Amino acid sequence: MRSNKRCMFFIVLVLLFSLMAGASAMAAEKVIKIGALFPLTGPAAVSGQNCVNAVLAVADLINKKNPDINMPLAAQEGILGGYKIEIIKADHQGKPDVAKSEAERLYNQEKVFAIIGCYNSAATKPASAVAERAKKIFMCGCSSSAALTERGYNYFFRHAPTDAIESDEFVDYIGYLNKEKNAGIKTLGLIYENTEFGKHAADEARRAAKKVGLKITADVPFNNGATNLNSEVQTLKAANPDAVFGAALGGDYSLWVRTMKQVNWLPKIALNYCTGYQNPAVQKELAGDGDYFMGGMGYSPELAKKFMPEAIKVEKKYYTPRSNQPFDSDSIQEGIMLHVLAQAIEKAGSLDTEKIVKILQTEEFPCGMALSGSVKFAPGGQNMKALSVITQIKDQKYGTVFPLKFKDVEPVFPMVPWDKRK
Amino acid sequence: MSAPPLSEGEGFSVSNFLQVLIDGILSGLLYALVAVGLSLIWGVMDVINFAHGEFLMVAMYISYWMGFILGIDPLFSWAASGIFLFILGCLTYKVIIKNSLGKAAMAPLLATFGLSMFLKNFCMNRFTPNFRLLSGTIMEGKTFSVGGAIISVPQFVTAVFALVVVMLVFWLVKKTRLGWAIQATAMDKEAAELMGIDTEKIYLFVFGLGGACVGIAGGLMTSYLAVHPEVGSLFSLISFVVVALGGFGSIQGALLAALLIGLVESFAGFYIAAVVKYVAVFAIYLIVILVRPKGLFGW
Repeated sequence: MRSNKRCMFFIVLVLLFSLMAGASAMAAEKVIKIGALFPLTGPAAVSGQNCVNAVLAVADLINKKNPDINMPLAAQEGILGGYKIEIIKADHQGKPDVAKSEAERLYNQEKVFAIIGCYNSAATKPASAVAERAKKIFMCGCSSSAALTERGYNYFFRHAPTDAIESDEFVDYIGYLNKEKNAGIKTLGLIYENTEFGKHAADEARRAAKKVGLKITADVPFNNGATNLNSEVQTLKAANPDAVFGAALGGDYSLWVRTMKQVNWLPKIALNYCTGYQNPAVQKELAGDGDYFMGGMGYSPELAKKFMPEAIKVEKKYYTPRSNQPFDSDSIQEGIMLHVLAQAIEKAGSLDTEKIVKILQTEEFPCGMALSGSVKFAPGGQNMKALSVITQIKDQKYGTVFPLKFKDVEPVFPMVPWDKRK
Repeated sequence: MSAPPLSEGEGFSVSNFLQVLIDGILSGLLYALVAVGLSLIWGVMDVINFAHGEFLMVAMYISYWMGFILGIDPLFSWAASGIFLFILGCLTYKVIIKNSLGKAAMAPLLATFGLSMFLKNFCMNRFTPNFRLLSGTIMEGKTFSVGGAIISVPQFVTAVFALVVVMLVFWLVKKTRLGWAIQATAMDKEAAELMGIDTEKIYLFVFGLGGACVGIAGGLMTSYLAVHPEVGSLFSLISFVVVALGGFGSIQGALLAALLIGLVESFAGFYIAAVVKYVAVFAIYLIVILVRPKGLFGW
C-alpha cells in the first residue's frame, strides 16, 4: 500500500515537473505562430508543397541572421526583439469546405496569429471569410481570382496579379503581335478547370477579348483531375482558334499538353494563367513537349538574375534545399506575403492586429523577392504593385517576351508544330 | 457555357465523329481492364476493394520507376507491374481481408479503405506529390490515322491489351476447371467446399487476379499518363460505376458497361460540353440502377 502511494507520488511529481518544464520552455520560446494553409495532398499537392517550402524559407530568413541578404529583417534575428516565426502547416486538399474548417482550427485551436494561403482561389475564398469574421489577418500569395479582392474585406491581403491583370496583358501582347509581327490572331479558345480560379480566369479572358475584338470560338471548362482530356482537346481542335488561354493546374496541364500532341494540334499561341506552366517540376516531366507555350509569371530564375538578386540568395540558402528546384512564380508570392506580414508586425511593435492591419493598409513594403521590388495594398487588399510578365518556355528555361522593357528573348511564333519538333 | 464544337457552316464532321467514337472506345476498354478485377472480387467474395484505385497507382509507380531507373519501357514493364500487383492482391487477402471476413459486414470494406489511405500516404511520403511522366518511351508521341481520326499508339496498345486480358479472364472463369471452381465458390461457398474445392485458395487467387488486372492496366498507362499519388482516385470511382452498371461479378457486364461509359463520356464531352461528361456518365448509371438495380448483367 505504502509503496503504491510512493509510486503515485512519484508519478505526480514527474508530471508536475514536466508540466512546469513545458511552461517554462513556452515562456522562454517567444514565437509568433503563422498558419500555412495549402493543398498538401490532392491534385494540386505539388504546388501546395512548394508554397509551404517558400513560406518556411522566408521564416528562416526572418528567424536567422542573414547579413549577406539585402532585405528588410534579414540581418536581425527574429522580430519584435527576438520573437521567432513558427509555421503551422495545414492541408486543405484543394477542397473549399476543408479549407474553411482548417482555417477555423488554425485560428481557434492552434491560435495562429495569421494565415498564409491557400493557393487554390476556391479554398482561399471560404478560408479568408473565416478570418474576416474572426477579425484575423489573412495573407494570400498567389490565388488569382479577381473576386477575392472585390469583397471589401479589411483583413485580407493578396500579392498576386489578378486574372484581370493577366488577361489584359495577354490581349495586349496579342495586339502587339498582330501589329508588329502581322500575326493574324483573330480567334480565341479558352480551356480552364471548372473551379473558382478557372471560371474567373475565363470571365476575365472573355472581358479582355471583347475589348480588343477577339472572337471566342471555343469555351471549354473541364473537371480537374480528369482521367483524360480527349473531348476537351478535340473541341478545341474542331474550333481551331488562333490563340488559346489556359487555366489548368499541375497534372491537368501536362495532360492537356500531351493530349494536344496526341491529336497533333496546336494554336498559333498558347498563353497560360497561373498554372502548371509555371511549375518547374511539371515542365521537367514534359521536357520538350512543354516548349513554346507562354504564360504570365512573377518569377523565373532568368528574371531573378536580372531583377531580383536577393531572391536568388534566399532561394539557394533556404528554398532549394527543401524543394530541390528554384522558386516558381506561385510559391515565391506566398513567401513574399510572410515577409510583408513580418515587416508590418515589426513596424507595429506589437501583436495588435488592428494596428498591424492599419499598417498593411497604408504603408509600402520593400521586398527583394517581388518583381516590382515592393508591395502596397489597395482597399480590398489587392497589391497595387503586382507585376507579371509574359514568358515563353524553351528547354525548361523561361524567357521573358513581354512587356518589352523586360524582354530578354525573341519569341518563337507561331508555336512549332508537333511533327516539326526534334 | 461551352461554345458549340462545330463551328458555323461546318456542319456535322465525320472525322470528328469518328475521333470521338474511337476515343470513347479506347477509354472504355481501359476502364474495363481497371474494373474487371474489382468486379471479380466483388462477385466471388462480396468484398468491395476500396484500395483498387491505389493498386492502380502502385502499378503505375512500379512501371514508372522501372522506366526511369532501369530504362525498361512500359511496353514490357506491364508484366512486372501485373506480377507485383498479383502478389500485393494475395498479400492483401492473407493479411487484411481474411482476418476481416465473417466479422462485421463493414469490416472488409473499412479494412480496404484503411489500406487505400496507407498506400496513398506512403507514396505521397516516399515519392512526393510530384507528377511524374515517363519520357522517351517506345510508343511516345506515335500516332496513326483512320478515316481522318488520329489514334494514339500508347492508348491503342493499352486498349488492345485490355481487350485481350478481359477476354482471357472471361475464358478462365467460364471455360476452365479453375473458373468453374471460382463460379462454384461465388454461388455457394459451403457447397463448393463440400465438393472438395479449396475456397481459401480460390479467394486468394481471385484477389491476386484482381490485382494483376489492375497492375497490367497501370503498367501500360504510364506510357501516356502522369503518375502521382492521387491518380487512382477518379479511375477508382469510375470502376465502381462500371462494376455496378455491368452487374457485380459479371465480366462481360463490366466490359460492356465500361465501353458504354467511355462512349457516353466521349460523346457528351464533345457534343454537349466537356464539363458535363462525368455528369452524363453518372446520370446513365443512376438511370440503369433505378431501372435495373442489379446492373445490366447482374444476377
